[in-house]
Amino acid sequence: MAQVIADRRDVDFVLHEQLGVASLSENECFEEFNKKTIDLIVNEARNLAVKEIYPTMKEGDQQGCVFENGQVQVPECFRRPWKLFNEGEWLAMNEDPEWGGQGMPKAVGMAAADYFNGSNYAFMMYAGLTHGAGKLVEAFGTEKLKKLFLKKMFTGQWTGTMLLTEPQAGSDVGALETTAVKNDDGTYAITGNKIFISSGEHDLAENIIHPVLARIEGAPAGTRGISLFLVPKIWVNEDGSLGEPNDVVCTGIEEKMGIHANATCSLALGGSGNCRGWLLGEENKGMRAMFLMMNEARLLVGMQALACASSSYLNAVNYARERVQGRHLLKMADKDAPAVPIIQHPDVRRQLMIMKSTIEGMRSLLYYVAFCEDRIRVSEDEAEKAKWQGIIDVLIPVAKGYVSDRAFEVCSHGVQVYGGYGYIKEYPQEQLLRDCRITLIYEGTNGIQAMDLLGRKLGMNQGKPVMDLMGEVQKTIAEARQYAATKPLADEVEKMLNKLGEVAMHIGATAMSPKVLEAFAFAHPFLEVTGDVAMAWMLLWRASIAAAKIEAGTKKKDVAFYEGQVKSAEFFIFSQLPVTFGRMKAIQNMNGAAVQISEEGFGGK
Amino acid sequence: MEILVCVKRVPDTSENEIELNREGNDIERDDLVYSVNEWDNYAVEEAIQIVDKVGGSVTVVTVGDEEDEEVLRREMAMGANNGLLLADDAFQGSDGRGIATILKAAVEKGNYDLILTGALADGGEAQIGGMLAAMLDVPFASVVNSIAVLDGNKLKVGREIEGGNQEMSEIELPCVLSIQTGINEPRYVGIRGIRKVASVEIPSMGAADLGLDASAVGSAGARVRRMDYFVPEIGDGAEMLEGSTDEIIEKLIEMLKAKGGLK
Repeated sequence: MAQVIADRRDVDFVLHEQLGVASLSENECFEEFNKKTIDLIVNEARNLAVKEIYPTMKEGDQQGCVFENGQVQVPECFRRPWKLFNEGEWLAMNEDPEWGGQGMPKAVGMAAADYFNGSNYAFMMYAGLTHGAGKLVEAFGTEKLKKLFLKKMFTGQWTGTMLLTEPQAGSDVGALETTAVKNDDGTYAITGNKIFISSGEHDLAENIIHPVLARIEGAPAGTRGISLFLVPKIWVNEDGSLGEPNDVVCTGIEEKMGIHANATCSLALGGSGNCRGWLLGEENKGMRAMFLMMNEARLLVGMQALACASSSYLNAVNYARERVQGRHLLKMADKDAPAVPIIQHPDVRRQLMIMKSTIEGMRSLLYYVAFCEDRIRVSEDEAEKAKWQGIIDVLIPVAKGYVSDRAFEVCSHGVQVYGGYGYIKEYPQEQLLRDCRITLIYEGTNGIQAMDLLGRKLGMNQGKPVMDLMGEVQKTIAEARQYAATKPLADEVEKMLNKLGEVAMHIGATAMSPKVLEAFAFAHPFLEVTGDVAMAWMLLWRASIAAAKIEAGTKKKDVAFYEGQVKSAEFFIFSQLPVTFGRMKAIQNMNGAAVQISEEGFGGK
Repeated sequence: MEILVCVKRVPDTSENEIELNREGNDIERDDLVYSVNEWDNYAVEEAIQIVDKVGGSVTVVTVGDEEDEEVLRREMAMGANNGLLLADDAFQGSDGRGIATILKAAVEKGNYDLILTGALADGGEAQIGGMLAAMLDVPFASVVNSIAVLDGNKLKVGREIEGGNQEMSEIELPCVLSIQTGINEPRYVGIRGIRKVASVEIPSMGAADLGLDASAVGSAGARVRRMDYFVPEIGDGAEMLEGSTDEIIEKLIEMLKAKGGLK
């Protein structure tokens, strides 16, 4: 059986040959995580993912969640993998052992997450949301709240969510209307309605812990008046035992395009006046708390998107090797020529190369961001920590926005390679396309990601993080120049990097001029070209490692892998980057049509 | 009870395309993903469960090289207490008898009440357990699918018999049992278990440590030699049906009707 989730050779390549994550074990905090341990962890994550979670992917999609009398049933087949996942203590693999975590490097966690999310990310969302909610408790909870909640959340006994969105407050979180009134006992009475709450109600765990954004009576309007509360589905007594239901009522679940197996809930808080919560952090500082968690959440969404794309690619390439259809193009005139596997057709190869190079670049980028987190953890130098944090901050909108945009395109190619079979439910490709689509929307739409890059990240700290990032790209370019196979690629990437610098200066200056609207109409194209250059960087980095290995001589089967790396970089840099160049020119032109056209001019009335 | 479980590192068939190598004498092994032989994993789980009930320890042993150490570590992360790697250049190319000879020497270095092997591994020979028992001159039961510890140094073991029948026997300790899959549900390995064995040094023993004559094992001592290895040619009379599942079903029904199998 061929691989169906993530190419193990590729995962190992990024971990060990590109990033060298085992070197983290030289630091005391990660000393257990040597190469052998890392390999065992990836083996076992893959083992659980392939054998227990992956088989629930299609069934979960077909069954979906059932809403009945205020309660949600998840697909029955989820119970066993949920139990096994928690027994293996995978939910908080990167977290502090004091609270039930396993203290693993984040970059290694990405490899495990690659397999888990690829095996069924609708299932994994129950764990992912729990982890995120747990992080909020860890960062902002009092000792009492941490003792009451954290271990039970990090071990999956209780699950978590995140309650931001309301009917009138989606991208504009500041418009939310849920209120909080302080009670005499120090808790707050919470009243409001939340929608689109992933994992908001289900029967996988005995309690669900909701971090909730709400406005304390009399607080300022907008985001400055938002506070964060911890609201359990079932009240938790001082001794940790479960009390009464806490007036958090699920009023319905959404019928969605994809991720059917994850319950997307509408929740009414305090409909009977009996919903209580604890303040998490300080009053009116709820948005700041959100921002602290945002990078991790957005990186996870990037991983979900990559996971769909990676599966779609592996399915497609295996299908293309087996599906026999049509004569070889060079033998078209020969009526007796046999039909060939479709992988021999140039247009199929073109699509497979788009998929392959995109996935490889994305995998490297996401693992790299996580590795930057690990570098912060092991560094004692404040300036160095600040440098890696800055690079993470700049790359997060790319890791979420660009990666999910491209992942969806990869999934679309994945359908296309299958032809008609890609469009029917018998094969996995259409589900991957549907499941992937939400990653462009939630956790900040990709439009918001683009605005984040242009409006916040580009000019952050007088542009130092951007300069630091470009410095890292330059290092890769210098390295790649040493090998005959990658030198011409390095030259191209350097040109594009310099051009990106020019474009960034131009759009950054325009955003601070009266033509600010024009600039923001090009925020998404700017995210795209930034992402393209980030892909080119990662692929060049991979290719130069591969070129070095090929030059030094290597095992036979590795030769194909390494040559494949050089070809991915070559394909992306020579066949995709010229399009990026055109996009960059479009940004520099900064034509104002999209801003200037009247609303009536859009027609349709 | 002191239990020794013999394990083997084999290509993982769940995510590997197995191909013949260019020389035509083996499968292409470069770059395969390896894992512990499935039958052996059941044996380790069974050993852990026995020790959980009656006390003692579980030692996992393999014959191989440094790379094979990973399956020992994996089974220790699962719950085995000790690992033992039997590695020596002289062991390369051993036939089944050679492997059993090496294992026998290792058994004699310890003090084991029970020795478990998987019923078979990737080679399909299913020979190690039986040979090892004969060499040790202890009783042997094959394809065991249940074990209960009895008083008086005895086990009650169930065996799967042709036709789905079940046989129950009493067997004296020490003994060798070859374990059938399905005897239990092997646990998955979690991160905690992996962390526990991350820095454990796994001892290794070579021919000299085991008191073995190098010429009695490995290719020097092998009395069975593989002469050829190939994928059999597809004979006549077989037809592969292609298309979607529905199309295949439709074609199959048509064929059955045409040949009188369905009226």
